[in-house]
Amino acid sequence: MSRTKASSPAGNASARAADAELAVARMGEMSPDLRGCAVLDRSGKALAASGGTRAWEEAGGAFLDAADAADGTAASGVHVATEDGEAFAIRDGELAMVAVAERFTLASLMLFDMRTVLRDLASGNGIPDRRAPDRAETSAAPPAPEDPPLPPEAAS
Amino acid sequence: MSPKPHRLLLDRVSSYADEAGAYLRRRRMTRKPFARVSYPGGRSAAYDAETEAGRKLFLAASTLIDAAR
Repeated sequence: MSRTKASSPAGNASARAADAELAVARMGEMSPDLRGCAVLDRSGKALAASGGTRAWEEAGGAFLDAADAADGTAASGVHVATEDGEAFAIRDGELAMVAVAERFTLASLMLFDMRTVLRDLASGNGIPDRRAPDRAETSAAPPAPEDPPLPPEAAS
Repeated sequence: MSPKPHRLLLDRVSSYADEAGAYLRRRRMTRKPFARVSYPGGRSAAYDAETEAGRKLFLAASTLIDAAR
């Protein structure tokens, strides 16, 4: 019996890391105010990040820990605005995403994008392409049907 | 009867000053740092920078923002 790469634990891990890379790239495309982001797993390991994963691991883990420690319960979302920028974090299942955006970014849009991407990643079905079709795809689309003929009384 | 020219000028200047003052007030308000944490179930809480939890949150956020540079 053949065993696919994705069905083995190592294959699952590499597939998830590849999806996480895609999620980070997709976030960059969706959010123009984004400076960088990272996807962390339950242990705090960075599956993917905009820059060096080590720095994001430490800083992202500390950010989530500080949010959890604030109330003693696990936080589902964090938004901290400072003079230098805005920091965000959300959790979905075993995954978490931390992000940094420009000051005065639209927080609701940023959190919506993060939730959408992280939910897709947590579902395990890959990251669907939610971008608008580009011009090439639009021009290749079939032409719109012609208007139906007018009734005889309207034509007269 | 038309207003005297100098009153027109004074009105114009004070109107610009009012606009500038309002702009600065709005700017100060929107620049005020804040920290908000949401929890499962829809509950959320804001933490002031003066509190211990808020201080840790702001510190961690600053480290994260530095990591993005």
